[in-house]
Amino acid sequence: MIGPGVKRGTAEIAILSILHASSLHGYEIARRIEHQTRGKLRFTLASLYPLLYRMEKRGWVRGTWQISQNGRRRRSYRLTAAGEKQLSPLRQEWSELFRALRHLAKGAHA
Amino acid sequence: MPDWQKLVSHRLAALSLEPQGTEEVLAELASHLEETYDALRMDGVPEEDAIHHVLSQVPDWNELQRKIQSTQKENTMSPRVTRFWFPALITFVISMSLLAATQIFGPQPLILHPANYPVVTFYVFWLVALPLIGALGAYLSHRAEGSLGTLLVSSVFSVLPFLASILIVLPVSLAFDHFIAHNMAPMALVTALFGWVLAPGTALFAGGLLAGLLLSSRSTSRGVTTG
Repeated sequence: MIGPGVKRGTAEIAILSILHASSLHGYEIARRIEHQTRGKLRFTLASLYPLLYRMEKRGWVRGTWQISQNGRRRRSYRLTAAGEKQLSPLRQEWSELFRALRHLAKGAHA
Repeated sequence: MPDWQKLVSHRLAALSLEPQGTEEVLAELASHLEETYDALRMDGVPEEDAIHHVLSQVPDWNELQRKIQSTQKENTMSPRVTRFWFPALITFVISMSLLAATQIFGPQPLILHPANYPVVTFYVFWLVALPLIGALGAYLSHRAEGSLGTLLVSSVFSVLPFLASILIVLPVSLAFDHFIAHNMAPMALVTALFGWVLAPGTALFAGGLLAGLLLSSRSTSRGVTTG
């Protein structure tokens, strides 16, 4: 199980990656992240929205109100150009970190 | 089924954002809770358990309110502004204010008049203070995670307007002012560049470089790098 500290750090990259594929509303973002990480990453309302609002303030995502097929009013988020630009170096940074940790773990087991 | 909109409005009663912002946040959070509840009910979860599960999403409403409120106060300046423009303008304003104060209140400048060259004026007190101002620019840029290059350019930024004005004003004056002795122009250019660009630029650069190296070595010994 991944600890809370690493989860906090991966939260931004998880949201950016999910929105890179398609525009989604908050509930769906949480549901897809949970599904695609097989429950390893789980967002509650309390952890998701402050992060989404912060990312929107930074200009990485943009939310617009839409009416769903069942008449429900929902705010759909899409990745902006600034968010796209952010995603690539973040991915690189995290893959480097995980590679370094894997080397460290291999060294410890050797 | 609970009135989620009412519940969220009640629990986040003190939330105060920009006009319309509060209403939109409350509506969005209520919609999320409602959707979670509906999904649980569709999966066959009893109403009471579903409500309990939905409410467990927010263990502390005051904490959530504080977090949402803090996102609105976050600094939204771009990295280029915080790493370069802000430190550069701060050092520019301080160095120009100090120069003006030195010219008005003293101490008297050192005036050199080398043979065959125009007069060169050195505001020694100002020049001595410039390394500190350069170091301040470097510190501000470093605090915003600026690279060593950005940090040095923001340190010496104060002399760039001098450089630009000398390179523009002198040729323009030569072209339009017929009272300027053309034989003195190259020497005037050299002395102006030395007195207003090279000397203060060196002082700012020295302060910026020293501070930059000091701050970089401190952060390297504290941090862990990857790659």
